Amino acid sequence: MIARMTPESSDRALALARELQAVADGDRSAFATLYKRTSNKLFGVCMQMLGDRGEAEDALQEVYVSVWRSADTFDATRAAAMTWLITLARNQCIDRLRRHREVPLEDATATRLVDPDPEPPALTETSEERRRLERCLGVLADQQKDAVRAAFFSGATYNQLADHVGVPLATMKSWIRRSLIRLRACLERSETNP
Amino acid sequence: MNTPLDHEPEDLRYAEYVLGVLDADARAAVEREMAADPHAADEVMRWQRYLLPLAEDITDSAPPDRVWSRIQGRIGQTQSLPRTTDIRERRGWWSNLFVWRSFAFGATAVAAACIIALVLFPRARVAQPAAPAIAYMASAITQTDGQVGWTATMDITHARMIVVPAKPQTLPTGRAPELWLIPAGQKPIAVGMIDSGAPTNIKLDKALLTRIGPDAALAVSVEPPSGSPTGQPTGPVIGKGSITGT
Repeated sequence: MIARMTPESSDRALALARELQAVADGDRSAFATLYKRTSNKLFGVCMQMLGDRGEAEDALQEVYVSVWRSADTFDATRAAAMTWLITLARNQCIDRLRRHREVPLEDATATRLVDPDPEPPALTETSEERRRLERCLGVLADQQKDAVRAAFFSGATYNQLADHVGVPLATMKSWIRRSLIRLRACLERSETNP
Repeated sequence: MNTPLDHEPEDLRYAEYVLGVLDADARAAVEREMAADPHAADEVMRWQRYLLPLAEDITDSAPPDRVWSRIQGRIGQTQSLPRTTDIRERRGWWSNLFVWRSFAFGATAVAAACIIALVLFPRARVAQPAAPAIAYMASAITQTDGQVGWTATMDITHARMIVVPAKPQTLPTGRAPELWLIPAGQKPIAVGMIDSGAPTNIKLDKALLTRIGPDAALAVSVEPPSGSPTGQPTGPVIGKGSITGT
């Protein structure tokens, strides 16, 4: 399974993949370049999910320490470098959220959930993959689409999302699971017939 | 009828994992499954490909410089796992802790003896075919009380350094020693956090390699455990050592 890349982003993606491979060989200057190129995005991800600057800084530090230590597990034939990096950042943030705030959503997170920012960007500025996902999200009811976005951007559990929106847990699970089933069908179709 | 939810919820756990809605236990279960079953790992990667483009919506945000300084401090002490290519080499004398433990006793005298042995010995055997010039340097980091706190040996050829504690002074809780390279007349460069109870292996990058030499010195300062937040020493300097060798 080869990671798909859009032509306009493939140069950058290949450069990142090469840098990750150099980092795996212990090349510190490649690591510095990689940090320069990617840390703004990953810090944005951490800020979005954690909502606290200090905690986002700690999370970002952990993310890059694990990039340095585990860059040799990155496989360019299976994933795009940016996907790999964002996944590391999201996992680090979700683990932190589970450790510190398993029960109630804190006010900051709750506020962000009411209006699940960020807004979808102007679609002309986005990748083909992002546009394809937007088309498939478009087939969902607004409520379900909002639940998927809120889940992705907050890292909140089913329980927390249900509490926050004020619906039973089963309802929240059903919204999101139905959404995922429909998204899968739509995305599978468009991957085979782009 | 409705969407066939009840028939295949188990297929969705990979999607739920990537979306981030599972609790800690359910996440751990998926991670165990990924480690054991390539199909599970493939499914997770597929959902990453599907859902992660949403992250493009997130506005970039520049982290403060201190984060990079801390990362550098942290990776200085990386005891890198042996990579497949150099496992054999790492099991050689460099990794032999007995060598370094005995090195730590009577550090100064032994350091001097080792330099002589390491520097002169290869030269004496010039008949050896194409032996690369070995460049080792060493430093005994002496504390304000006159005791050697750590000895550092730098293997320039292989771009690595090992820092062995001799008699490091005890630091207050929540403080840790950080090693710095001070090129003559320049600002200190962070080398990495070092251990007070065990040898620390450090990879040397180009910036460090080109500045290590008899004109430079090593120093240890007292810092937060994650390293100096500024990229420069913030706590008291508790030890210094000149660098010797060729």
